[in-house]
Amino acid sequence: MSFTGPGNYREEAAKTIRDKPEVRTSITAATRAFDAHRVHAWGQIDADRWRDWARDVKSHVLGHLDEYLEQAEEQLTANGARVHWAETAEDALAILGDIVREHGVESAVKAKSMLSEELGVNAHLESLGVHVRETDLGEYIIQLLGQPPSHIVGPAIHLSVDDCRRLFHERLGTPLDAEPDELAGAARDALRAEFLAADLGISGGNFLAADTGTVALIENEGNIRLSTSLPRIHVACVGIEKLVPKLEDVSGFLQLTARAATGQPIGNFVSLIQGPRKNDEVDGPEEVHVVLVDNGRTKLLADDAAWEALRCVRCGACLNICPVYRQTGGHAYGWTYSGPIGAIIAPAMLGLEEAMPLPYASSLCGACTDVCPVRIPIPELLVHWREKAVEQGLTPMTETMGLKAYAKLAQKPDLFAAAGSVLRHVPLELGGRALPVLAGWMQERSAPKSSKKSFLQMWKEGIE
Amino acid sequence: MSARDRILGRVREALSERTAVEHPGSFEGWRPAAPALPVDGLAHLLEAAGGEIVRQPNVDAAAAWLASFCADFGSSAVGETVPEPLRPPLPAGAPDTAPLGVSLARGAVAETGSLIMDARDGRRAQLLVPTHVVFVRTRDVYVTLREALIELADDLPSAIGFHSGPSKSADIGQILVKGVHGPGRLVAVLMGDGD
Repeated sequence: MSFTGPGNYREEAAKTIRDKPEVRTSITAATRAFDAHRVHAWGQIDADRWRDWARDVKSHVLGHLDEYLEQAEEQLTANGARVHWAETAEDALAILGDIVREHGVESAVKAKSMLSEELGVNAHLESLGVHVRETDLGEYIIQLLGQPPSHIVGPAIHLSVDDCRRLFHERLGTPLDAEPDELAGAARDALRAEFLAADLGISGGNFLAADTGTVALIENEGNIRLSTSLPRIHVACVGIEKLVPKLEDVSGFLQLTARAATGQPIGNFVSLIQGPRKNDEVDGPEEVHVVLVDNGRTKLLADDAAWEALRCVRCGACLNICPVYRQTGGHAYGWTYSGPIGAIIAPAMLGLEEAMPLPYASSLCGACTDVCPVRIPIPELLVHWREKAVEQGLTPMTETMGLKAYAKLAQKPDLFAAAGSVLRHVPLELGGRALPVLAGWMQERSAPKSSKKSFLQMWKEGIE
Repeated sequence: MSARDRILGRVREALSERTAVEHPGSFEGWRPAAPALPVDGLAHLLEAAGGEIVRQPNVDAAAAWLASFCADFGSSAVGETVPEPLRPPLPAGAPDTAPLGVSLARGAVAETGSLIMDARDGRRAQLLVPTHVVFVRTRDVYVTLREALIELADDLPSAIGFHSGPSKSADIGQILVKGVHGPGRLVAVLMGDGD
C-alpha cells in the first residue's frame, strides 16, 4: 500500500471505519495516551509562555529565512559538511542518487524522517539497487508490511500488539504469543547487523541552528544516533523551515517538542550534529551531507495566511487531540502528513485542487490550535483554504450557489422568514439529498423533525 | 541560476511585503515551581526516565564502585576520555560485542536529566553496548539546557549526544520496552569533588 493522494479521503475514511474498526480502537487509545502525557507535561511548566516564545522564534526565523539559510550553509560548510539545495523531491532524490553512485553505496539505514517519506526516498534508493532499512521500530514494522506511516510520531499506532505478533512470527520467526520485549529483541538483533554493515545513514532534522550549523534530532530508541554515527556517510534531509537562529534556541524547542509529542522532558536521545568526524575522534561518518529541501515550502511561505503553518515542529499534538483523525488514523488522508496540520499544508505543498477535500476533514472545533506548541491558527487556516476552494470553483457548484443564496436571504429579514417557512415543510432527508452541503452531514446522521413554528414565532409568543 | 539561488529568490519574494517579527530573547524555561538542586534534579529526571543513579563522593570511591560493579561482566568497551582510575579492570572488548560500555560525560543538564556525550569520547562505546555506565562530575552539571548549549557552542566536536535514559520504544501496541537499539541499561555515576 502506498499513498495515492487526498482525493479519496471520504471513501477511504468511510472504508476504514466500516471495514477495520480495530484501527479506530488502536488509534484512539494511542492518541488519548499521547495527549494525556502532554497534558501532564505541560502542567509542570508555564506552557503559555513557552508556546509564545516558540511561536515568536519561529515567526522571526521565517521572516528572515533567506539570511538564516545562508548563515547555516556557511557554518555547515566551515564544519566540513557538504550542503545541497533541492527545489523539488526529484532534485533531492537526484542528489541522493549522486551520493550513492559516487560512493558505491550498497546498503542504507534510515532514521525515522517524515521528510524522507514525503520525498519517497526508500522507493528511489531501492530502484538504484540500494538495500534500505528503516530502523525506528515503528517504521521497521510498517516497512515490513509495505505501509506508509499513520502518525507523525508513532508511525505504527494503527496496529495492535497482535498485528505485530503475527508479522514478527512470519518474518522473524518469533512465537505467536511473544511479548513486546521479545519482539523488540528480535528486531534489535535483525537491525544490529544492518547498522554495522550499512554504507549510508539517512536522517531528517528536527532543527537546524544557523549560528553553529547544527542539525538537531530527537528520538527515544537510539537508532538515530546509530544511523548518524556508524555508516561512513550520513545524509540529513532538512526542510528549509527547520532553521532556528542559535544553538541556544534549540534548548527551548527540544524541550517543548518532547513535552508536546510524548510528555517527556526531552527525548531519551538527542543528537547535535555539526559535520563529519574530526581528526581527534575515533569514529563517526567521514562525510556528512545536508540537503536543504524546498518541495513546496516556499509556496506556503508566500501565502499571506498559511505561512504560519511553517512553524510546525511535527510533534503530532494536533493529530492526537483531533476528533476526526482519531476515527481513522492517518492513512485515509492519502498523503504523508495527516490530521489537522496535514490539511493546512497540503493545499500549498500539493496544490489546492490536489489537496481537496482535506480542508473539509475537520469540524473546526479548534482543539488543535489549543494544543499547538507553536500556536498555529489551524482552524483559521482551514477556513482560509475553504474560501480559496470556493473562489477557485473547487467545491460543488450547488454548494457555491446555495451559500450565495443564503447570503442574499440572510440580508433580507422578510425573505429569510418566508424561505424558512417553506423549508420547515420539507423533510430533512429530502433536503439532504438535494443539497450536497447537507448530503455529507446526513450520511452518518438521522434527521430530526422540523418544528412547525419558527424560532422567531416562538420567541414572539414567549418561549417557556 | 542554481537551485540555491532560485530557492533563496522565492524566499525573498515571499517575504518582500511581510512584517518581520523580533526574536523574543532567550528561553528561560519558565516554570511555576522552583527547581531542585541541580544534582538532585538530574538524578530525579534520569531515574524517572528509567536510568539508574549511583552517587560517589569522589573519583576513588567511584573507582571502587566500578570494580565491584564490573565483576558481572566479561569485557568492556571504554571511552577515549575516561581517566585511568575509572577504566574497568576487564579485558578490552569491541563496542559491538562487549556487554559493558564505560564513558565519561562532558557534563550533564539538571533541567532535562541529560548526560552530555561528546564524540571525542567515541560514539560506538556509547551506543552499541547493552549496559552503559557514564561517569559525570557533579561540578560539570549545568542547571539549564540553554546554559549547557551556550558553553558547548564554544568547543563543538562533530557530534554531541544527550542521553537522558535508556533506549526505549512504545511502537508495539504502546507498550514500553527498553533496549531497542541503544543501551537498555543506563547507569549514571555522579562523582563529587570530596576527599
